[in-house]
Amino acid sequence: MKFLFDLQDKYLAPLFEKGGKFEKLYPLFEAGDTFARTPGDVTKGAPHVRDSIDQKRLMIFVIYALTPCILFGIWNAGHQFNVHNNVEEATFLMDMIRGSLMVLPIIFTSYLVGGICEVTFALIRKHEINEGFLVSGMLFPLTLAPTTPLWQVALGIAFGIIIGKEIFGGVGYNVLNPALTGRAFLFFAYPAQISGDQVWVGSASKAPLVNQIMGYTPTTTDGVTMATPLGVAASSEGVSAQAALADAGYSLSNMVSGVIPGSIGSTSVIAILLGLGYLMITGVASSRIIFSGIAGAAAMGALFNLLPLDNSFAALPFYYHIVMGGFLFGIVFMATDPVSAAASNRGKLIYGFLIGVLTVIIRVANPAYPEGIMLAILFMNVMAPMIDHYVVQGHIKQRTKLARALNHA
Amino acid sequence: MATYKISKGFDVKVLGQPEPIIQELGGQTRFAVYPSEFEGIKPRIQVRVGDKVKRGQVLFFNKRMDRTLFRSPCCGTISAINLGARRFPLEILIDADVNEESETFKSYTSESILQATREELTTYLLDSGMWPLIKQRPFNKIADPDRTPKAVFINAGNTAPFQADFSIILKGDEDAFQAGVNALSRLTEGQVHLCTSVGIELPTFDHVETHIFAGKYPSGNTSVHINRISPILPNDTVYTIAAQNVILLGKLLITGELPRTKVVALAGPAVKESARKYYRVPFGASLDRALADNLEGEEIRLINGNIMWGDQVKLDTCAHFYGSEYFAIEEDRSRHLLGWTMPGLCQYSSHRVNLSTLLGMTHKWKLGTSLHGSHRAMVVTGWMDKHQPLNIMTDFLVRAAIAHDTDEMVQLGILETDPEDFAIASFVDPHKTDVCSIIKQGLAEIEEEGI
Repeated sequence: MKFLFDLQDKYLAPLFEKGGKFEKLYPLFEAGDTFARTPGDVTKGAPHVRDSIDQKRLMIFVIYALTPCILFGIWNAGHQFNVHNNVEEATFLMDMIRGSLMVLPIIFTSYLVGGICEVTFALIRKHEINEGFLVSGMLFPLTLAPTTPLWQVALGIAFGIIIGKEIFGGVGYNVLNPALTGRAFLFFAYPAQISGDQVWVGSASKAPLVNQIMGYTPTTTDGVTMATPLGVAASSEGVSAQAALADAGYSLSNMVSGVIPGSIGSTSVIAILLGLGYLMITGVASSRIIFSGIAGAAAMGALFNLLPLDNSFAALPFYYHIVMGGFLFGIVFMATDPVSAAASNRGKLIYGFLIGVLTVIIRVANPAYPEGIMLAILFMNVMAPMIDHYVVQGHIKQRTKLARALNHA
Repeated sequence: MATYKISKGFDVKVLGQPEPIIQELGGQTRFAVYPSEFEGIKPRIQVRVGDKVKRGQVLFFNKRMDRTLFRSPCCGTISAINLGARRFPLEILIDADVNEESETFKSYTSESILQATREELTTYLLDSGMWPLIKQRPFNKIADPDRTPKAVFINAGNTAPFQADFSIILKGDEDAFQAGVNALSRLTEGQVHLCTSVGIELPTFDHVETHIFAGKYPSGNTSVHINRISPILPNDTVYTIAAQNVILLGKLLITGELPRTKVVALAGPAVKESARKYYRVPFGASLDRALADNLEGEEIRLINGNIMWGDQVKLDTCAHFYGSEYFAIEEDRSRHLLGWTMPGLCQYSSHRVNLSTLLGMTHKWKLGTSLHGSHRAMVVTGWMDKHQPLNIMTDFLVRAAIAHDTDEMVQLGILETDPEDFAIASFVDPHKTDVCSIIKQGLAEIEEEGI
């Protein structure tokens, strides 16, 4: 190993450094180099020591936290496919293989296209390749339906990375969460492939290649129609939403376990809670945002329960809102993106709480968009600087008052 | 005597604490004065290479404030004046001879100092070349003798690894310290505050109010003391001085001669264990005898100060005008395989992303100077504020400084701070932002524009 690194330092590095043959590709070399080994830079001045944490480690830890969601998402995509296409005697392994064949191309496309965008901008702007896209590139596919066409995945992630991030100057300068920006783009540009009843479970008739690989002949040429719990609840007219959900086979327990149709990574509450636990132990994500967000959704849900509205969705017990749809995934992994979230401690509480409140309002009050978390987070991303502004103003007032009091002035 | 409990803070657990023993270190022939130590001055050199100088002779003065004189610490011949960028003199080297000729000044007793007027004392201290020991806030520069401060803060804290323990330095010099305190009390219309950390046992002194600050680093920083006792309002001035320097002022006033020695602590993981102690060295004299053969490691960084705050100095340095401690640490250019995902059992961190932190390892570390990562754009996460005991919003202050927004910087309290207060913010930041330099730049901009 040492031999290889010596070789790299001696022969490869000079090619990419200033004056070298491939000087223009330095960011690419640097990314690979610091991926293999931490950089050997030393502090320039005080403080003379630094914490061993860096952005690479921080970002990778978010990906680690996503692992339960990724694995469960892969299995669930395959499982839903096999169940609803009446594949007989589908084993766990078959679910995993089928799911992998559906989900991995989406993740791969997202990383490939997102990576190309990131690298291109890094090369043009001559800055380091930022690890942020590793997280965006993983979060984005997890919010999509397992049947999303790959060209849409490519378009979405490119939009998210370029418009959501790079035109502002890259990670650290963006206003909106890049992954959600990409998803919102797809949501409004191609609603047919990301909402409705027909996209959440793969149809055997539409996957001839995979069928061939799996050695499976579809029994029907129809697509599979499965509404998500949010879709069911939003369109429950006349009956109570709870009854409509039960009627469609959705109970609290299967919404918590996540063995239901939905976006790839966001159906299972258990998988998300595993990730949340990891984030809390390592302290990588802000607990203020997450828990105030959950409190906000519960509070708004409870308020709707109390109000005498002629809306069956409003009467749905508030805890349903927390386990249904992408709320928990969004509040744990998306809302906590430190770049686009509020930064002050008090600001984080307000920001998280309002995301929860807005999510439930959009779900209940706007029948056109059954899922509210995406729009709520994007809206609060825009509002975050304003929240911080007022928190900072409050702090300035308080500190001036305190200073005057201590000075008897 | 009041005790302040500071709850926020973080102690960097590094090896190399100095033993509380003082070793005498005399007989040096190589002396140096470093004009570059005095920030904000424009030195006009009064001597030439080859000139004979006596102890206390003027070497240079500040062109911006020509009453501020800087005098020779020893008797001898100027051997070199080394210039840096823009012909700024970096160091004046002096070869000492056996001659003991010395300039003398008026001498006082502890009581007669209290009768002296402010004007008399400032003129005396400026003339003797010891005035620059007194600094002022905001901007942490050499005190302006024409501005009467609302208070004087003496810092006897030692929360950074490893600041000298003032109780060790003080032993035997209590009278000189009291004389220095008396002089300071004449400089201000308000109170003189002596702020110490827990564990530093001091006798009681007159004309000074003692405060104890309990807490982790940086609870021993002057800014924290000022922030808790009497925060700086716009147009306020306070004087600050390190406790050891009060002894030097006292000695000057009592003897009428420039103080001959000062005490410095030598610490850090790159110092041999037997050499980690305190040394009493002649003012401005070479530290060779303490440093030579006592440093271990391939490439060593010697810091005039502690691990959190101080400037890198050459290994053949002479004792500086400011500072009571030197810290030696090895340059760490090592590269770690897959650093982004290794468990981190042998990596030191304040965050819970390493196994070493998660397992609650409490041993002291042999730290190096590695940056442990590469620079990234700053993200306002609130992490910089995690260990900040000052009543300021660190992340937002840093952001305002990056944006050159002087109004917001002042509102957020930058005038109460000094770059050293952001050492811990720099330490914890995963984006490797150089917070201290940003704040320094911000303060310079405000000073230039005027508040």
